Amino acid sequence: MASMVGNKKSHYLFRIGSMLLITVLLVSGCGSSPNATTDKKNVKVGIVDTYTGGAAIYAQDSLDGFKLAIKEIAAKGGPTIEFVTRDDEFKPDKSTSWAKELVMNEKVDFLAGTTNSAGSLAVSQFAKENKVPFIDWGGMSDKITGAAGNRYVFSTIPNTAIIGKAGAVQLSKLPYKKIWLAGSDYEYGHSVITNLWSNLTTLKPDVEKMGETWWSVGETDFTPYINAIRSAKPDVLVVGTGGADMVAFMKALKATGLTQEIPVWAHTCYDPATLRPLGDQAPVNVMGTNPYLSNYPDTAENKAFVAAFKKEYNREPAAFALYGYMGGEFLGQAIEKAGSTDKEKIIDAMEGSTIDTPVGKATLRKEDHQVAIPMSYGVIAKVNGKITATDLHTLSPDEIMPSVDAILKSRSQ
Amino acid sequence: MNFATLASQLFIGLSRGMIFFIVSAGLTLIFGVLRITNFAHGSLYMLGAFIAYSISTFLGQGPNGFWLALLIAPLAVMLISLVIERGLLRFIYNQDHLMQMLLTYSLVLIVGDLVKIVWGTEFKSMNVPTILRGSFNLWGASLPLYNAFLLIVGPVVALGLWFFLSKTRLGKICRATATDREMVDILGIDSTQVFALVFAMGGWLAGLGGALIAPTTTISIGMDANILIYAFLIVVIGGLGNVWGTLISSIIMGVGEAFGILFIPGVAIIIPYIIAGVLLIIKPSGLLKSAW
Repeated sequence: MASMVGNKKSHYLFRIGSMLLITVLLVSGCGSSPNATTDKKNVKVGIVDTYTGGAAIYAQDSLDGFKLAIKEIAAKGGPTIEFVTRDDEFKPDKSTSWAKELVMNEKVDFLAGTTNSAGSLAVSQFAKENKVPFIDWGGMSDKITGAAGNRYVFSTIPNTAIIGKAGAVQLSKLPYKKIWLAGSDYEYGHSVITNLWSNLTTLKPDVEKMGETWWSVGETDFTPYINAIRSAKPDVLVVGTGGADMVAFMKALKATGLTQEIPVWAHTCYDPATLRPLGDQAPVNVMGTNPYLSNYPDTAENKAFVAAFKKEYNREPAAFALYGYMGGEFLGQAIEKAGSTDKEKIIDAMEGSTIDTPVGKATLRKEDHQVAIPMSYGVIAKVNGKITATDLHTLSPDEIMPSVDAILKSRSQ
Repeated sequence: MNFATLASQLFIGLSRGMIFFIVSAGLTLIFGVLRITNFAHGSLYMLGAFIAYSISTFLGQGPNGFWLALLIAPLAVMLISLVIERGLLRFIYNQDHLMQMLLTYSLVLIVGDLVKIVWGTEFKSMNVPTILRGSFNLWGASLPLYNAFLLIVGPVVALGLWFFLSKTRLGKICRATATDREMVDILGIDSTQVFALVFAMGGWLAGLGGALIAPTTTISIGMDANILIYAFLIVVIGGLGNVWGTLISSIIMGVGEAFGILFIPGVAIIIPYIIAGVLLIIKPSGLLKSAW
């Protein structure tokens, strides 16, 4: 078989060459740059995010949110913000190499992205070394603005420390004592569970951990996990999982009927991205928290945001649309406030700034650059034959933000 | 830990093994006869799930939708496989393995992007038909009915494969090609047609696996990579190209994983690799005789 190779060497090289060419064309095709107005220097944002694979849905939402924000800013006579995008394919090494390329070739002033937490951490490190500000609107790891935080990284997405604390507040109000922890075996899953557990043991010292279960990302069959947990008979099952795994897990909850015996807690369980594909096959009696819903909070600001987003993209905005939108809004306001396109001045203007968002006031905390927005909590139930989130309450940022002292302490370690 | 828990976990493990078997059987057939490392096998499985979703949604997510999807989706994937084999693979049978890997791997990327273009990025879900919904009671443990259905489908597919491979002329030619390709050529049988048939059959099995798993999980881009790792592990453990070895190793993998999850839940994620490692140390050539 191998002997054929020699004879066909030129043929071979041609094929490999054309493959490379196609790759280059595909890669360069990913970027899109809008026309620039050239009367003054515009701020250019380089977005590295996951536009292919299972997490692509989030990157698309945050990009559309960001695009809506910069369009609104420009329409109001504010600064013009340009952007280019790069696909990191959920690979942290690609996140950094694209970040480098964007800064060196595209000469971007700001970086933004990326749904992979490890990618966000890597880009944050690059941002710090090269003094290029980075807005994280996709990575949820608490390390990004926590232990690994620095002057050049901002986060417009509620991180796992906030999610864990919100879940702990919700669970501490309920009578459950024996708790089983489970989740997807990756940064997000572990981080949510660790934060939730440490907060819950503080709020309610008599809780008891019965056991832990971890499954791989992309698991398709949850029945063996659920059957094993059911046999241990905990009071409540607390789950840290996201994305496609979330939908599959919820389906398995319904098929096994676990929630008839054991209540389940999971962040974003009542998010439309989870409930819409499930239809009437969604399990009830699942509790959770969620930073944003298109119909909650039921305010004029949220309605206006939903209407504007719907007009532009013909679909309802999900939570990541809000994160991208806030990234654009914070940046636009900071450029105006700084009255300059100097990066350091924009950073100074962004620190501690507050904007109006569909969920109320949002603040980028001065000390850790983490956005503080409220969070809702509730439970899935059947109302008038339709499965939806009910019993919704709002937790204020004061209740769910990790303390500044703890963050500064973790940074100094 | 009572009897009901053990029995129900065994049952779940077996049904998990059935999906593994259906997908891996296709991969091992292609491995054995075509001698191609088909990285795109997971992509065909993913296509099966997405096509099943589309058929089911088109027919209003009702019970008819599921059964029709189960029938048509594997056939559609079979057709796609045939196009891939006739259009691309048949030109590289005489190239070295690197070329074959490059080609099938490029198919993984192409199919991944095509699925994203056609179906979008939103998570999709299709309904289990009413008759297979809910759960039943097995010694006090409640189990999803759908898993029982999988336990029926798996053996039916295995029996069908056995009948085809040992009782039909075509099946015998397939096995002969796997054993000695040159001899088959000398006997005047066009082995490339056998290749096309086997690749299409492998595609059908991948599509069937995808259509069967579709109602129980999220249908999303990325599901191709996950199954591929299992399928390769199972094929290697079972003995390359040996369908019965695949059946045995699928069951070992499914049941082993289910019990691992029950007894050592904290490290459940590494159980498939422990199983593969231990079995390969005991029998490095695979459980049953490799076709090569």
